[in-house]
Amino acid sequence: MSYEKDIMDKVEKGESIPDKLDIPILKFLWDASPLSFANKDTTYSFFKKVSVLNSFSDNEIRLFTKFLHKREFIANEVIFRQGDSGYGFYFIYDGSVDIYANHLNNSQDHGDFVIRLERRQYFGEMGLLEDFNRRSATVIAHENTVLLGIFKPDLDRMLELYPVLGAKFLRETALIMANRMGQLTREVMSLKKKVKDLEKRV
Amino acid sequence: MHRNLKIKLVLFFFLLFATIGFAILFPRLTLPFGFAYIVYLIFKPLTSLLTTGTKKQRFFFFSLFILGVSFSLFPLFAAFYNMDADFSKFSAQLPEIQKNLQDKYFVFKVYIFEKFGYRLNIDPVTFMIKKLEQGGSLLLSLVPNLLSSFFEWLLLVPMFLFFLFFQSKKFGAKFLKAIPNSIFEKTYVLFSQFNAKFGQYIIAKFIESTILGTFVTLGLLLIGFPYPFILGFVAGVTNILPYIGPLIGIIPAVLVALLSNDPNISMLALGLIYLIANLIDMVLVFPLLVSKVVDLNPIIVVVSVIVGSQVGGVVGMIVIIPFIAFFKLLFEEIYKDLSVQL
Repeated sequence: MSYEKDIMDKVEKGESIPDKLDIPILKFLWDASPLSFANKDTTYSFFKKVSVLNSFSDNEIRLFTKFLHKREFIANEVIFRQGDSGYGFYFIYDGSVDIYANHLNNSQDHGDFVIRLERRQYFGEMGLLEDFNRRSATVIAHENTVLLGIFKPDLDRMLELYPVLGAKFLRETALIMANRMGQLTREVMSLKKKVKDLEKRV
Repeated sequence: MHRNLKIKLVLFFFLLFATIGFAILFPRLTLPFGFAYIVYLIFKPLTSLLTTGTKKQRFFFFSLFILGVSFSLFPLFAAFYNMDADFSKFSAQLPEIQKNLQDKYFVFKVYIFEKFGYRLNIDPVTFMIKKLEQGGSLLLSLVPNLLSSFFEWLLLVPMFLFFLFFQSKKFGAKFLKAIPNSIFEKTYVLFSQFNAKFGQYIIAKFIESTILGTFVTLGLLLIGFPYPFILGFVAGVTNILPYIGPLIGIIPAVLVALLSNDPNISMLALGLIYLIANLIDMVLVFPLLVSKVVDLNPIIVVVSVIVGSQVGGVVGMIVIIPFIAFFKLLFEEIYKDLSVQL
């Protein structure tokens, strides 16, 4: 979370703000400069704006990008199928992907369309954490797409070479999983409620 | 599948098999490369220490590395110097050993004649020495070839090492880029696992052999046994071979004990030294270092070593274990995949 956003939140909530705004002016000028490295369209500037890596410092992002693999997919190319073994976590660097569920084995049909993910969104985090992961959905490139992937061996290497960075990344990935679990629990609760209502009506 | 993707897949497999074919067809390049790769794997953990961390940490590890190299080179030079002395001593003692052997055989012949009344007419000692001399002259005729291979290796190994230490990252990235998307995840993970298993196995075996060789040398020095450095070195090298290695390692020591006329040499002490060194290896070093990396049934290991020796000689015996461990991993993955698809 940035300093500016923190202040804005305090203003919105009606909390008191500090008398003196202590913005590191040099950092601000550096980041605002058109010559700044962060403003160029690089993997570094890409990750500066990815929400998952909010807590990462500039140097940590720079190190993190060293462990990524850039993979290019043409439109309609299958990235992975439901039931495939999963080993990686992908960030959408360019383009968009479609996610399908309920894909049947040996069928040409991809299944039911679930959602379209755009630039800076991510998918496949379970593949990185689970010991023997099976992909829970089919992912297909909607257009020509570039993905940045991190895989199990990369995470192992990261934990070995930069343990703090590895632990931070694992924490962020666990947070994504926790959020998804929370969403799922809420959905299950609401479905249960609907089922109960239906039972009462019947 | 899109036509271009199919072409990419076929091209990738063609390149892969062409590379394997090239490696099989040109062992003069493959063997020094394999040797350089083993050296690279042994020193790879050090390079990560020297390239990561803060400047202070890197300086600390670099100083530690230089100190370590200096300290480890000194005993190595000492060992090689002493090995040279051992060899010279052995050559000088050869006529004496020959006479000793003939004397012992004569005593044996007399014993057989007195006990069973049978006269032994064969002379295996002269035959053996003749064969040894023939072998020696054959070895001498091979010297020019051996020397040219040695100089070839002297040129190629540092070159390959330079490539592996400084260029392999870039080359690896290009190789990974060439892998088609449809098989990328699995290929990359399996390739990394194989690399990790092979590296861990080589390092573990290197440390294990060094420890065993040191123990044997120290033990032999303690009881004043001749040629302690050569025999320790041989015990360390042969220990690389699983199960049969320690047995092969003790043979030269037993031969030396049998051939020498020294009354101070005790077979029991010699056996105890090798037994203790191998027990330390089996009880402490192997379970801590190697077993976790290999994780194979002992019968499979023995069968693999025999198959390895048939296919690739001594080198085959050494490298077959990590290959089998990798194939086990590969089959497990395929089996898991199939069990889900069913």
